[in-house]
Amino acid sequence: MVIHAQPGWKSRISLRLAPSSKASSASSASVLDTSNSYGLHDTMRFGMRQIASEVSSKHPLENRLAEWDNTQMELKMNMARNMYGMHAPIKMAMERSLVIQARGPSMLPQRSNLGLDILAGKDESIDFEDYLNVPEMSTDMVDVHVVMERQIGIRA
Amino acid sequence: MTSRLQQTKGGFNFDNHVRNTMMEGKGMGIPKATKTGTTIVGLIYKDGLVLGADTRATAGPIVADKNCEKIHYLAPNMYCCGAGTAADTEMTTALISSQLELHRLSTGRQARVVTAMTMLKQMLFKYQGQIGAALILGGVDINGPHLYTIYPHGSTDKLPYVTMGSGSLAAMSVFESRYRPDLSREEGISLVQEAIEAGIFNDLGSGSNVDVVVINSEKVEVLRNYAKPNERGVKEASYKFQRGTTEILKTSIRDLVDIKESVNIHTPEAMDIS
Repeated sequence: MVIHAQPGWKSRISLRLAPSSKASSASSASVLDTSNSYGLHDTMRFGMRQIASEVSSKHPLENRLAEWDNTQMELKMNMARNMYGMHAPIKMAMERSLVIQARGPSMLPQRSNLGLDILAGKDESIDFEDYLNVPEMSTDMVDVHVVMERQIGIRA
Repeated sequence: MTSRLQQTKGGFNFDNHVRNTMMEGKGMGIPKATKTGTTIVGLIYKDGLVLGADTRATAGPIVADKNCEKIHYLAPNMYCCGAGTAADTEMTTALISSQLELHRLSTGRQARVVTAMTMLKQMLFKYQGQIGAALILGGVDINGPHLYTIYPHGSTDKLPYVTMGSGSLAAMSVFESRYRPDLSREEGISLVQEAIEAGIFNDLGSGSNVDVVVINSEKVEVLRNYAKPNERGVKEASYKFQRGTTEILKTSIRDLVDIKESVNIHTPEAMDIS
């Protein structure tokens, strides 16, 4: 949500109901996902560079579902701003930032945030993500180095 | 202004999408999901509503289940008939039933039928019709009886009598000619039974028996297999051969296992208390 001061700003606030099916970086694949410290594709960690996987088309639902919660939140904020004024989304964002705790370097498995769930209304609902492919149950090996580098800010 | 959180989420996994499109391009199709083919109907009578369904599930040209249950429980005052992909209807109704229970616990009141309809509609719209569940939702709440249809893409209708599924046209022809408002309970059940039987006999995707559920403000009656118009006939003659039809010329019996029985008496040793 961007703050505009010019006349006509109201028409530029997005009241988007559903996310688009194309990811914002769909047709272009970034080498940053698999880059090493030199900025090139890291063959040692990720194997040979596969161009096909870089520009492959995604399922139309993939981006829609990934962005769904964020889009609904943005819709609520924008509507609250139109109806009640700037203070309403500011208060909502403030409450949200109060419950988002900064993750320490040792907390690699993501803990469920109860405060965030309550603010989002997820404590009173159940969805597919609560029992299908639950992240706590996944058997994927977490690459500790990539996560640490992301947290410090060395890599994107 | 709002911080966008990047988290690994649960839910559906699309990792195999690229592989699947490649395989389809080379000629190998995806396995056919079990569909319910189906005739499902609902109608509102004087004191409440009646839901009906057939009981055949198909996987392509084969009957996968001769007596499946298509009327699913959602809440004590609401039931939902499902047509389309069988797994989708079952999982969707189970999920919404859980969501309704959570909602009921937090509000402390009996859930309304519009609540269930809105939850179903918003979920199906979110998945853009990829969840193939066409539903008839019926229930009685504080505002009386309500009957809704929900299509896989998320559109809904509120009507006094509805039919869905591949046999919907056959069933609707029965309703359109014989429905009138304020039917009695017996008339409503018999009209639903006739509509389902029209679907069973005229549509290949529907068959076997008729299930009926009657909901009114006091109670719910689940009449499973209310009518069985397709009972299997009993065979008149037995095809078993009598003993002695084939003459026995020689008998020889050889034991493959030697069975020896022996009893071991185990004398218990005294406890070592030292």
